[in-house]
Amino acid sequence: MMENAWLIPLFPLVSFVILLLFGKRLKEAGAYVGILMTLASLVFSILVLFERFSEPSYIQKFEWLKIGDVSLTAGFEVNQLNALMLFIVSLVSFLVHTYSKGYMHGDGRFPVFYAYLGLFTFAMLGLVISPNLLQTYMFWELVGLGSFLLIGFYFYKEEAKAAAKKAFIMTRIGDVGLFIGMILLFWKTGSFEYSEIFSAVEAGGISQTMITLTAILIFIGAVGKSGQFPLHTWLPDAMEGPTPVSALIHAATMVAAGVYLVATMFPLFAASKTALLTVATIGAFTAIFAASIGLVQTDIKRVLAYSTVSQLGYMMLALGSAGYVAGVFHLMTHAFFKALLFLAAGSVIHAVHTQNIEEMGGLWKKLKWTAPLFLIGTLAISGVPLLSGFFSKDEILVAAWEGGHPILFVLALIAAFMTAFYMFRLFFMVFTGEARGNQNHVHESPGSMTLPMLVLGVLAIISGYVNTPWFGSFLGDWLVDGNEKLGHGHMEGPIWIMIAATVVSLAGIYLAWLIYGKRSVSRNWLSGSGDTLHTILYNKYYVDEFYQMTVVAVTKGISYFLRFIDVFLVGGIVKGVVGFVQGLGATGSKLQNGQVQTYAAVAFVGLAILTVIFALTGGYLQ
Amino acid sequence: MNLGWALTLLVLFPLLGIVVLAFMPKTAEKSIKLVGFLATLPSLLLALAAYLHFKWGKDLADFAVTHDWIQFRGMNADEPYFSVNFELGLSGFQLILVVLTAVVATLAAIASKYVKKEWKGYYMLFLLLETGMLGVFTAENLILFFLFFEITLIPTFFLIGKWGYFEKEKAAYSFLIYNGLGSAVLLIVIMILFAKTGTTNIEILKSIMADPSAPLSGDLKLGLFIALLIAFGVKLPIFPLHSWMLKVHVQAPPAVVMIHSGILLKIGAYGLIRFGLGIFPEQFEKLATLLAILGVINLLYGAFLAFIQTDFKMVLAYSSISHMGIVLIGLAAMNEAGVQGAIFQVISHGLISALLFFLVGVLYERTDTSLIENLGGLAKGMPIAAGFLLAAAMASLGLPGMSGFVSEFMAFLGLFNELPWVAAVGTLGIILTAAYLLRAVLGMTFGQAHREFAGIMDLRGVEFIPVVVLTFLIVLIGVYPSVLSAPLQATLETIMLGLGG
Repeated sequence: MMENAWLIPLFPLVSFVILLLFGKRLKEAGAYVGILMTLASLVFSILVLFERFSEPSYIQKFEWLKIGDVSLTAGFEVNQLNALMLFIVSLVSFLVHTYSKGYMHGDGRFPVFYAYLGLFTFAMLGLVISPNLLQTYMFWELVGLGSFLLIGFYFYKEEAKAAAKKAFIMTRIGDVGLFIGMILLFWKTGSFEYSEIFSAVEAGGISQTMITLTAILIFIGAVGKSGQFPLHTWLPDAMEGPTPVSALIHAATMVAAGVYLVATMFPLFAASKTALLTVATIGAFTAIFAASIGLVQTDIKRVLAYSTVSQLGYMMLALGSAGYVAGVFHLMTHAFFKALLFLAAGSVIHAVHTQNIEEMGGLWKKLKWTAPLFLIGTLAISGVPLLSGFFSKDEILVAAWEGGHPILFVLALIAAFMTAFYMFRLFFMVFTGEARGNQNHVHESPGSMTLPMLVLGVLAIISGYVNTPWFGSFLGDWLVDGNEKLGHGHMEGPIWIMIAATVVSLAGIYLAWLIYGKRSVSRNWLSGSGDTLHTILYNKYYVDEFYQMTVVAVTKGISYFLRFIDVFLVGGIVKGVVGFVQGLGATGSKLQNGQVQTYAAVAFVGLAILTVIFALTGGYLQ
Repeated sequence: MNLGWALTLLVLFPLLGIVVLAFMPKTAEKSIKLVGFLATLPSLLLALAAYLHFKWGKDLADFAVTHDWIQFRGMNADEPYFSVNFELGLSGFQLILVVLTAVVATLAAIASKYVKKEWKGYYMLFLLLETGMLGVFTAENLILFFLFFEITLIPTFFLIGKWGYFEKEKAAYSFLIYNGLGSAVLLIVIMILFAKTGTTNIEILKSIMADPSAPLSGDLKLGLFIALLIAFGVKLPIFPLHSWMLKVHVQAPPAVVMIHSGILLKIGAYGLIRFGLGIFPEQFEKLATLLAILGVINLLYGAFLAFIQTDFKMVLAYSSISHMGIVLIGLAAMNEAGVQGAIFQVISHGLISALLFFLVGVLYERTDTSLIENLGGLAKGMPIAAGFLLAAAMASLGLPGMSGFVSEFMAFLGLFNELPWVAAVGTLGIILTAAYLLRAVLGMTFGQAHREFAGIMDLRGVEFIPVVVLTFLIVLIGVYPSVLSAPLQATLETIMLGLGG
């Protein structure tokens, strides 16, 4: 089965091509093309995953481009990490394809939407199956394209246009880091193949500085894609895309690609303490930074977006603390519960036609399926015991503690508290209390939307049990099997960490309940402690404004300065050249004045010059 | 097997079209356009056949052709003859340029359907231009090269000056003056080489120059190389010799810009590679750092300026300057990756800019404008055209899976090994390119429609041919780059040999 794994990304590509060519004729039936093709990918992925449990990794490659004597290859690989990723991506993609049938119903560009989804899924699956850095980079950019197209799906909205542009450019800034890092690694190791890069790193032929430099450059790529500080601002804006897209791309898969990249390149990072510390610090900072913004946002999708940024920071913190298993584990559980939360949020939006949580409230009774499922997702992400997020978050906290960064550990704990708080703030404001908006036509979503949510809900509960301190760390042992550079399958942490995590999470929930559920504490508790803090958080620390005033302004400034040069300096040269030619012409034409005497004089001078030259050179130009 | 006749035919076939057109009535618009289009087909078929010839493992030397042409000698009878032969040939590099030229010429002939007046004169000049271009890329000696080079100038001058937009005369003269000066410099270089070595055959010149006992001093060589750099620098164009081409991009009819941006600019790159790298490798090496810096300047200068243009044609014009910077970057690396990247960029940019300018033509035909702010929201009325425009922009900004990425990647790969800091500054261009292209293209197609485009015609009929063919080729090169790198293999080896390693 593994030798056929290359088919997995191709199914969605076929869907893309079919829908692009025949979408107009298929109309909404086009959904079935997409659903069937991703189902095929899912089935293959499951088979590959199960085969990988018992068999060794598989790699296949062929020559793609020859440069001199160097042959660059393309191909595919199945190892533990990407077998798992294939499963996650194709599962979430399949569920989102199904969900969208209901969600996008009635949209005039329905087939286009499915075509883009297919393109994205193709790119994402291609990314995880790549056996070398160059191919990874290529698909890395293609997922960016898919994301761009889907964010800009409502192209006639100015916000969507701006968000799509921003997402593409911001991630490209990160991509350039990856681009440079990849090229430097190539010249140092002579290859783009992961295995060869790692063995060259291990052999010690590369200086420590170079390892750190390339690792950090590659991490910059991951920062862009995974919305880490300071390149995070595009991700919340990306919520302009249709909600299923937010679930698939901006929660479960593409934004996790940065984490996946660091995990894939882990042996390189592990060789440099500085690089690891950078990853951990950026991750921890992003986790708490984004969580604090999430506390006060009023758009349901933006809260979830900041939550995603924060959770991705968590994963980075895990990887940076040498917690390979913890990072990958949280990537998986997060994919399930965050996709669930987004789809449930989509279902809410579908019902009430607003994204502002101030206008919701009291939806628990009206959305019989959505509400409990949203609650499951909320409990999971808050780290409430027995749900998936509890186990993976615990694993990360242990890694951060064992990794020896007490400060980062404390940051992570505070972020966990905030997560529990803002998630339950969201839950209470949306589902409990009085209805604050017009809710006359609220109805539960169709089965095509609730069923995918149900599947994710089940996974959000149970998926943590593949790696627990109680029932064995099956996932962790399997992930690191045969590769000691990735660390241990399970880290034995002190029991108090688990207790602390639980306490923090419950405290967050309790506080949210006091304020937004029971309403015994004023809602304006934050504003009460000073409007300034609330304003700063609500405006996301003014990072966008800062970029606008610095990077964008400087770029424009340089452009206008260069235009000045282009017009006056270069233009001056043009005028000079033209003037010279015209002058020459004018002088020449003055001679053509019809007076025979002038002509004779010119002819005579010419003859004289020729004679002199002849005399001097002896008759021949040497 | 000697296929020299085929190559000669390939170059001269468009002239036959001129003869046919000469006997047609001026007013027969439809038939003139048809004949003009058909006359480009034989060369295209022959070019594709030549590619297949190579693909089937046969020798490209089969296409070489030599005829005695002009011979003379000095006053003393014992001096050797100076001879200029009619010599055409194909190497892998030339082959792909010939294919590119033939493809773009045919597609530009389709795009010429928007020409509104004096079709007869237009197509006659157009076909003359095609012969000139094909000749430039197949000529095996410098005199013949120069002759064809001049043949391209004259029709282009008239095509711009007569069929262009409002400031067409100004653009045409600006084109003529700059290129005229460039070719004057080129002529001086050629004549000095001819006088000193007695030959203009490129291959022979290469071996003479590689010989240390060559009758040229090092200083003279350096001088000649710098002159060559200026001559082709005007064409490429290299900053600050670029302002003429901005006018051409804006004022010439889109079909002519397809040719101009797609092929004519590439003569500059071709000259730098074939003559600069080929005949003056040592001098090239001496100036490599300077060239790399010039390349980065081109790349960033074009990108920054493209960022604030209001006319989409100007965006593309500055974008061309920026993309030609990548050619310089690749060449300056002087290693396999860099040079191959530069050549890929030549082809890739040829295809992409042809596609972009065809789409500009399509839009202009329907909306009478190419100002970005006047076109907002176009995707609603013309989803297919907008889609292809976005695809072309993606190719241009170097999206993997399309040709732009492969060339950009290799050029940077090459330079990072030689001058990592210069290359690192250059990568800024990757971000800027995305920024200015998305700003322009999204500005035109996304957002609220500023005016009602209801009832506007999307792409239709023959308009699909250029768009689909070009997109296909761009993706083909991006996904399967061996289609280009295989013919280039031998050329690269020769160049590397000349560089001494």
